[in-house]
Amino acid sequence: MDGIRVGNRVIGTQGPVTVGWENIPKVEGGPFKLFFFTYFQPAVLFGLILFWYYAPNSIAKGTTAIYIGIGFKVLLMALEWINPRYASWQLTWKELATDLFYVGLGYTVLKTLDNYIGDGVMIEAIQHAFDFKNVTWFTGLPLLLQAFLIAFIFDFGQYWMHRGMHNWYPLWLPHSVHHYITQLNINKGAVGNPVELFLIGLGVGGFFDFLPRAFLLAGAIGMSIGVYQHINVRFNSPKWWRFLFNTTEHHSLHHSQDYEATRCNYSNSFIFIDRMFGTCIDGEAEMLGLEHGRRMSISEQMTYPFTEGWKSLKERFGQQQPTAVPAE
Amino acid sequence: MNLRLIDWIWCIRGSVPLAPGQTSGDAFGKLEPLFQKQGTTHERAGNTLTFRKKDQAAQDKMSIFEGGVLQIENSAGGPVLRYVMTSRALLFCFLAPLLFLAFAQLNITLGKMDKQATEAAKKAGKDPDAKKKADEENKEIKLNPIDKMLGAPEPEKPKKDGKDKAGDKDKKEDKKYSPTSGYVFTGIFAALYLIGRILEDWLIKRLFRKSLLGEG
Repeated sequence: MDGIRVGNRVIGTQGPVTVGWENIPKVEGGPFKLFFFTYFQPAVLFGLILFWYYAPNSIAKGTTAIYIGIGFKVLLMALEWINPRYASWQLTWKELATDLFYVGLGYTVLKTLDNYIGDGVMIEAIQHAFDFKNVTWFTGLPLLLQAFLIAFIFDFGQYWMHRGMHNWYPLWLPHSVHHYITQLNINKGAVGNPVELFLIGLGVGGFFDFLPRAFLLAGAIGMSIGVYQHINVRFNSPKWWRFLFNTTEHHSLHHSQDYEATRCNYSNSFIFIDRMFGTCIDGEAEMLGLEHGRRMSISEQMTYPFTEGWKSLKERFGQQQPTAVPAE
Repeated sequence: MNLRLIDWIWCIRGSVPLAPGQTSGDAFGKLEPLFQKQGTTHERAGNTLTFRKKDQAAQDKMSIFEGGVLQIENSAGGPVLRYVMTSRALLFCFLAPLLFLAFAQLNITLGKMDKQATEAAKKAGKDPDAKKKADEENKEIKLNPIDKMLGAPEPEKPKKDGKDKAGDKDKKEDKKYSPTSGYVFTGIFAALYLIGRILEDWLIKRLFRKSLLGEG
């Protein structure tokens, strides 16, 4: 494969990729379908912002957010079935069961672990050690600005953590497992080694005080943008959306079989962070996954970072075979 | 122990009649494309085909199976294809509810331990959250004038009543170690197993029938 030059890099030499919005297929069908799949994403985003902005305190609670999140995911699963991006990414029973296993881990054992070593605990320990309190500057700001700051601070941290994972071998090991997914579906964001899932969930937001409603707004903004990273639905996302936010197109390229193409589009929600740091490529890919799309089993996903890490350590520090020196 | 009594959990058995006049060679020829997939190896010996799968692709129509045996047998009604195939995915899905029940139980145990530790600390006069509580009470929560103008509801004031606060804290602690999500996923995987066991049995039978008729 020849590949495509994008700035200083050539991508698509190891796996097929599409670069440039003009080359990406559009939603096909009648006027209602076109309207729906063009305006669905902004309508949900603005609808949720309005809901959380005006909901009375008795409704504006975390449990409501959980129910909305579950309902929204079920709706998106229905959309995957109605308007799939690729038939080769169709959800099967086995894929669904695998994805839900990781979602389950996130809601159970990883959450329990978070009570002991999560970012909240770390932040509390740091604050206790240095005797400083939460930064309270933001609580007086307009709610939407607070919500944006929460989402941005988290995404900015995620960007660097994710970029670090792609550039530093000890962090790459746990993250690499997530790059063995061979198709994108609504719950694929949860698939990965638990070490990585723990690391990617770390944030520094706990150092700052915000109003509780701002957290709910930030959660809604993050969900209604970030959820489209891993989804098998074709949308005609508006230009401004594609410029500001991460899309399935961006993230599919990040998961492509081409090594160079995986080293772009690191942000979770705000692709403009990638644009700021020169790591954004607008494009998409259908053929996904490391080792030319080898689907890794759950058991291998659980052990791979450790077995690979051990192999690398042995190679580096293991007993070296004496090399023969020619006699002069 | 006779495994046959429980191997229905991870094994799928069935039979499909061959088309009239179809020989075992013809039948396996029609099924051949199913075993030419990534990660699949197979052997044919007479009327028997044995296959193995490893790292099978997600879209492989037989992806839930790791191995199996297909045999052409003569029955009273004519030749039939009989198959028995094993699925780690089904076994895993059958066991997953136990894992999530264990996580729920772990949370209950840890919650009890945490409560005991907090009460012991309180008795010793060291409430770890005392400073935090005082900080929270001193916090003044105000809405920005822009939000007031736009009609956003005022944030709730922190409760001054010590009893209510203690209640809230207990609720928070209970949520921290809640077994609910463990129970929910136990239910989800029990349902998923039942769906998968019935659906995949039906799908594979349909796939073999269609392939034998040359429709696959």
